[in-house]
This record gives sequence, structure tokens and C-alpha cells, in this order.
Amino acid sequence: MRAIGKGSLASILAVGLHFTRIILWIGFVGLSIAMAIVPFATLIAAAIDGVANVNLEGDISVTGEDYIGIAHHFVNFGVMLFVVTRLLEILKTLRFGSPFVKENADRFRGVGYALLIGEGDKITFGFMSLIFDADVEINTTIISWLAIIAVFVLGEVFREGARMKEEQDLTV
Amino acid sequence: MAISVKLDRVLLERGMSLTELSERVGVTIANLSILKTGKAKAIRFSTLEAICKELNCQPGDILFFDDEESAAKAAE
Repeated sequence: MRAIGKGSLASILAVGLHFTRIILWIGFVGLSIAMAIVPFATLIAAAIDGVANVNLEGDISVTGEDYIGIAHHFVNFGVMLFVVTRLLEILKTLRFGSPFVKENADRFRGVGYALLIGEGDKITFGFMSLIFDADVEINTTIISWLAIIAVFVLGEVFREGARMKEEQDLTV
Repeated sequence: MAISVKLDRVLLERGMSLTELSERVGVTIANLSILKTGKAKAIRFSTLEAICKELNCQPGDILFFDDEESAAKAAE
């Protein structure tokens, strides 16, 4: 399989990541709106209920557990969006034929930190759910942590690769 | 870098242009410019050999070690 160009793994990945990014954006925007609205949901429902011809059946009550769940997904979607965007930027440099640049090393490091935040999010909200009885599980695995370490290692490899490429370019 | 390149001085002494040297040694003008302006990170022995052969000089005539600059960098 070709490394770059039409039909290459990079181009297939890029298409998949673009598609994923669109879905993540929609989810992220939706969760952002939910984050802003949910604390006032009861007030809004009460206000709407009073308007003529509007009849809201049942009680709308938003508890702390719901908000923990939304906040957990909000952080998760943010992390995923960040990672996918960085991966697309890395693939873009690959398509242009210069993947070994310092910026990509920084991007990989950024992905590593984002994944760390993602794992931190699972643990933090997991513990919060234990306290507030929300529906968020603590499901961190050793594989996830190894993957994060692998991303950081990859970032350092790219940093050295970028240095070597610069040296090669400036070797007469 | 503590190593400085004095290619322009040797070229001036020999009355040779960078273009002419480029054609003789088979190195692009862009690469020779990198060398001349001190932007080069490394020089191949083959390139140095070809330049010295064409300019009829020693590597030491082209490359100089600036100890003061080296000490200044080490102090940073």
C-alpha cells in the first residue's frame, strides 16, 4: 500500500478522521449547549409551561448526577475533537511530504496531554459519580496508559527525526 | 556555530565566482550559499575535497574554529 496519495492508508485515514471530526463537532456543540442550558432547565421548563397552548407533561428536574454525566461527555468530546484535529494536521504534513517537523513533535505531545486529560476525566468523574451517584464508570485500563506513553515516545521520536531532517537539509 | 566558513574570502583570492565553483564541484548554488553564509550544519568530506581541489587550498583555509564564540555558547 502506498504511503501517500490516492488509495493510500493516510488518505483513507484522513477521510475517516474528517468524517469523525464532523460528528464530534456536532456532539461537542450539542454538549456545550446542554452544559449551558441544563442548570436552568427547570426554570426554562416552568417559564415555557406558563405560555398559552404549551403543556409540558411530567416533571423536569435536573440533578447534580445529570450534570456530572454531561460534563464528563463534554470533556470527552473535547479531548476527542482535539486529538482528531491534531491527527489531521499531522496527516496533512505527511501529504505535503514533510512529516518530520518540530510542529508534529509538538502535536504528538499535545495528543499525549489530551489523552492524559481524557483519562483524568474518567477517573475524576468516576469518583464524583461514586459520591453523587451518577452514571459514570471508572474504567481506565493499563492499555490506555501504555497508549499514552507510546504517543509521548512517538512525539520524542518525531522531535529527533525533525532535528535529523534539518541537519540533513543543511548538510552540503 | 563556533565553526565559521570563509569560503567567500578564498573565492575572492582565487577570483572565482560561486556559480563557477558550483559548476566545477557539482554542488548546487543553493547548497554552496548555505555553506558560504554559515547556515550549514555539516559538510561532507566529498564536498570539502572537491572544493579544496578546485580552489587549490586546504580545509583549514575554508573552515575556522572560533573559540570565543564556543565559550560564549557554553556560558549561555
